[in-house]
Amino acid sequence: MRIRPIARGDLDGLQRLARETGVGFTSLPDNRDFLAGKIESAARAFEERVPAEERLYFFVLEDDETGELAGCCAIEAQVGREVPFYHYRVGTLAHSSVQLDLHRTIDTLFLSSDHTGDAEVASLYLRPEYRRHRNGALLSKARWLFMAQFRSGFPDKVLAEMRGKFDANGISPFWQCLGSHFFPMDFNEADRLTGLGQKSFIGELMPKFPIYTPFLTEEARACIGAVHDDTRPALEMLKKEGLRWEGYIDIFDGGPTVEAYIDDVRAVRHSRLCPVEVAGSEPEATERPAWLVATTEMADFRAAWVGRGPGADGTLTLSDTEARRLGVTTGDSLRVLET
Amino acid sequence: MLVVRPAKPADLPGLERLAGTATPRLTNLPAHRDRLEERITRSQRSLSRDIEFPGDESYTFVLEDLERGEIAGTATIRAQAGAHEAYYTYRQETLIHASQQLNVRREVQTLSLSHEVSEATLLCALSLDPRYKGTSAESLLRRSRLMFIAQYPERFAELLAIAFPGYLDADGESPFWNSVGRHFFARGYQEMNHLAGVRSKSFIAEVMPQFPLYLPLLTPAARAAIGREHPAHESALAEMLAEGFARSRHVDIFDAGPVIKAERERLATFRHSTWHPVRIRPATALPDAEPALIANQKLEGFRCVVARYALSPTGQLMLSPEHAAELGVEEGRAVLAAPLGLPDADDAFDEGEL
Repeated sequence: MRIRPIARGDLDGLQRLARETGVGFTSLPDNRDFLAGKIESAARAFEERVPAEERLYFFVLEDDETGELAGCCAIEAQVGREVPFYHYRVGTLAHSSVQLDLHRTIDTLFLSSDHTGDAEVASLYLRPEYRRHRNGALLSKARWLFMAQFRSGFPDKVLAEMRGKFDANGISPFWQCLGSHFFPMDFNEADRLTGLGQKSFIGELMPKFPIYTPFLTEEARACIGAVHDDTRPALEMLKKEGLRWEGYIDIFDGGPTVEAYIDDVRAVRHSRLCPVEVAGSEPEATERPAWLVATTEMADFRAAWVGRGPGADGTLTLSDTEARRLGVTTGDSLRVLET
Repeated sequence: MLVVRPAKPADLPGLERLAGTATPRLTNLPAHRDRLEERITRSQRSLSRDIEFPGDESYTFVLEDLERGEIAGTATIRAQAGAHEAYYTYRQETLIHASQQLNVRREVQTLSLSHEVSEATLLCALSLDPRYKGTSAESLLRRSRLMFIAQYPERFAELLAIAFPGYLDADGESPFWNSVGRHFFARGYQEMNHLAGVRSKSFIAEVMPQFPLYLPLLTPAARAAIGREHPAHESALAEMLAEGFARSRHVDIFDAGPVIKAERERLATFRHSTWHPVRIRPATALPDAEPALIANQKLEGFRCVVARYALSPTGQLMLSPEHAAELGVEEGRAVLAAPLGLPDADDAFDEGEL
């Protein structure tokens, strides 16, 4: 299995992924024209034909034996540059009076575009039959190696939006209580339009003034900063890298947005470059993949698990298969991360 | 005979009783001896000073039943609603959320804290002994204040406002307070109302939510209470609307009771009040006539009564010796008269701005 940039020939495979992802996965709607556009813009990004801040880097996880697409993930270099990028920030307002012997704090939702210009890791999807052998971790972490390698093309901060809580009927109580009053459409439709990038309606229809959370229903308040059960593992993985919830939530479903300074992300700090040597005979390999490597060229970016870390001399020994998978040979360098 | 006159220290027990029986309890008429005593002192001080423009004066009046020797009602004028502290209201506003892309246009109602009414003269703190309900005493107590303002316009603002007590349910609970204020105070409506009366309403207002409230997020019961008066005040509101007041976009911040307002020149009592020289005639000799509010021309000795609007062919107002004595006027002196009856008015709603 390996990560590589999406290519113009991947449209069928990508659409198959889009069909599987379903509602709540806003960035990958099942819309062939939209997906074709997405691939084209990603291809141009990797070819460095668009300015760094406009790039959307879209990766696929490929089964290098069958050529099948097993999953995808993406990095948006800077959000909010073309269209507004909104969150609610959960803030606290003190309501206090000495004369009344009163001191209360009220949680309040403030509409915010604070994350404008930050990078976003997004669109991570792994097909169910591939949810093994740390493929999920590969998808998630390969992005950190990419950002570490091409650090100057990214801003200071990175964020990730987590899917919010839905009830047994697939309805978001947060949406029901808040958004539905302002958006004359159901959640899926609003979500679909957002996914298509038609976000301007959000700004036009949103409540602009802060929302005092005591006015929300108990069910809606419980959604603030809460993640969908399916998203919990992804959240845990991001937290291990050092991303934290700083009080920003999705304006539709209340799901948390986690964030970090890119330089503080564990994988960015700990990855390093090592020279490669392709072994003549099959080198020993660990049972469980523990070493993640990535190549150093943007257009030919590859990332994969390898069976061992660098030796005492700092050189990473690869098997033939591993070297082929990554497209490297003796004398090349790889960015290496122990996980 | 019933007469409205400025309150004096001896009226304190009567005021205390009226404060205690007001329905509902009024924020601006707390049953609190010290506060009421202060109010009488302030009123007397306001009357004794030379005033050229409205400030923090307040004028408290009582309705006295001379036969019973009892105080039957009280009412106050605050020269400026928010003279030394801001007067807070919620202003009902409509925001349009429209999207060309989706071809939708949605109106969203909000309530925004406002100090706009602070400049107006406020008619407030009215309580009438329930035994006088349904009599002309109600109109006398309510509108004698307009007769006073008509004579001393320099002491008051061009704009008059009245905040009517808001809707309370059968248990005396305010659905609006329970959906809004309670979140911020964790206290019941009655307790807060009492505190506001004894201390000050404005420092409580400072703890209220400062950002506009989106109406769709309030409970249906709270939304229904916005701009709705307390059931006991329906007829009073109707009379003031007939007088020429109009509903405004403002409501009380605690119970969402309606704030009505008017430029004073629009009010029937101002437009139809006329000065007449007095002619004294025995009560039995007075011709039949429509009732009128009759007020004398004395500041500290202000008196207002309801009497017949009996005019002589030469335009003199014929008063009984008893009425003349109570008003403190001799034959030939001028009194101000305005018909008690008001034209039927539609439930006017002022779409304009203050």
